[in-house]
Amino acid sequence: MIRTFAILLCAVFFCNASFAGGDANQLYEALRKKIFQVKDYQALVEMKIEVNYMRIPQLTGKLYFKSPDKMRLERTGGLSILPKKNINLTLSNLIPSGQVVVMDAGYAMLNGKKVRVMKIVPELDAGDIVLTKMWIDEESLLAMRTETTTRNDGTVIMEMQYAAYAQYALPDRVTIFMDLKDYKLPKGVTLDYNQSADLKPKKKTENQKGNIQIKYLKYEINKGLSDAVFNQKN
Amino acid sequence: MIKLLWFELYKIFRRPRTYISFGIVTAITSVIQLAMLSDGESFVNFAMQGINEQFEIQGRIMNGYLIGYIILQSLLIHIPLLVALVAGDSLAGEANLGTLRLILTRPISRHQLILVKFISSFIYTTLLIIWLAVCALFFSLWLFGTGDMINLKSDAFILILKDDLMWRYGAAFLFAMLAMTTIASLAIFLSAFADNAIGPIISTMGVVVVLTILSNLELPLFNLVKPYLFTTHMIGWKGFFDDPVPYEAIRRSCFVLVAYTIGFLGMTMLYFNKKDIRS
Repeated sequence: MIRTFAILLCAVFFCNASFAGGDANQLYEALRKKIFQVKDYQALVEMKIEVNYMRIPQLTGKLYFKSPDKMRLERTGGLSILPKKNINLTLSNLIPSGQVVVMDAGYAMLNGKKVRVMKIVPELDAGDIVLTKMWIDEESLLAMRTETTTRNDGTVIMEMQYAAYAQYALPDRVTIFMDLKDYKLPKGVTLDYNQSADLKPKKKTENQKGNIQIKYLKYEINKGLSDAVFNQKN
Repeated sequence: MIKLLWFELYKIFRRPRTYISFGIVTAITSVIQLAMLSDGESFVNFAMQGINEQFEIQGRIMNGYLIGYIILQSLLIHIPLLVALVAGDSLAGEANLGTLRLILTRPISRHQLILVKFISSFIYTTLLIIWLAVCALFFSLWLFGTGDMINLKSDAFILILKDDLMWRYGAAFLFAMLAMTTIASLAIFLSAFADNAIGPIISTMGVVVVLTILSNLELPLFNLVKPYLFTTHMIGWKGFFDDPVPYEAIRRSCFVLVAYTIGFLGMTMLYFNKKDIRS
């Protein structure tokens, strides 16, 4: 009995820690395989967009995703707002596809947890992603945070929290931080009611940060979404 | 006094000129709606190019609520003219026809006459705003359907959910009524000085145009006087489409407009009481 228990314990330990301290390439490939097992999903979401110049209430709707890069937020009769295509809301779009060079950057602490840090550089220059830095929980084989430097859209930081759908590497909560350009329209065009300018005067900067928080309430995974879903108008 | 009010209303709505205003409101809203139906997408894309660079907005942007807002935005510059057409004629028109003296031979005070003229102009203004609401909002909703509304300010992008819009429109139209009542009282005031309706109508528009330019010019010189100009507060209806709604600022604007209305009315009574009426 004790021997069986010891063997089982060892098996669990070795399974969980199979990448601990192991090859960064192997870890990255295993993670990528886990992420790419999801071909499509639809999920009920609550989305909060926090950008200095945007005042948007919490949006609820259905988010559709189909690999590699199709995404649509459906809000019946309402408007949906998503970042431009190259800053997609899914992890699969923020890690480089094809041949990559994986660089081990050691370990770091993230939210009180020890995580493996690695930098991934695509071998081909053609894509929009220049560099992705990942904070990976080796035990659960999940990316907890990514920092993606893109060619045209600045740096996109994504922080994930997992729960019920961790086996598919699908998060329950995602916060995306991104660089945004400033927004301005001439006052002569908008004829603002100046009394309502309750925004504090801000420093004039070329770029500013914004974030999108998404809470995934329920996923339906790999049900075979048709392309037509992404062509529909709300 | 009620009987006198009925007579006033009868006079206003008997004149074909009164209906020109309703016709103009219908024509302008129809033209804007037609333009938006045919080429609204490019108009919206132009206005939203700063946002479209970074975000992808899906859904019916061009909906009745947005069109209603665009129409309101453009019409509240023209509506003062339509209000002045009737209110500016109230005393000067009577003087021109020679009936002012005749009216005052009846057992009513001059104050009462001014009050009746003001109330009848207010009723006309209210009906005009209601018609504007029907044309700008309800016809647009019928033509373009419903949806969430985007409000573009010079420094902010505001999205208002469709379930949160109708009360805002109701409040905005009520505010517009108050703003136009101020214009009506100004036109009645100027009307007391003239014996011909053209003068007060043009003078009212002149005052509105000059003060609107002052209210919108971003020059430090004018910033001191801006809070005291009624034209600065006339666009307070836009506050209802902000997030959060600046209730304190709207309350202040209402107070300024009411003060101007009472002020114009009081000055009219003061002047008219002493006026030597010869016709």
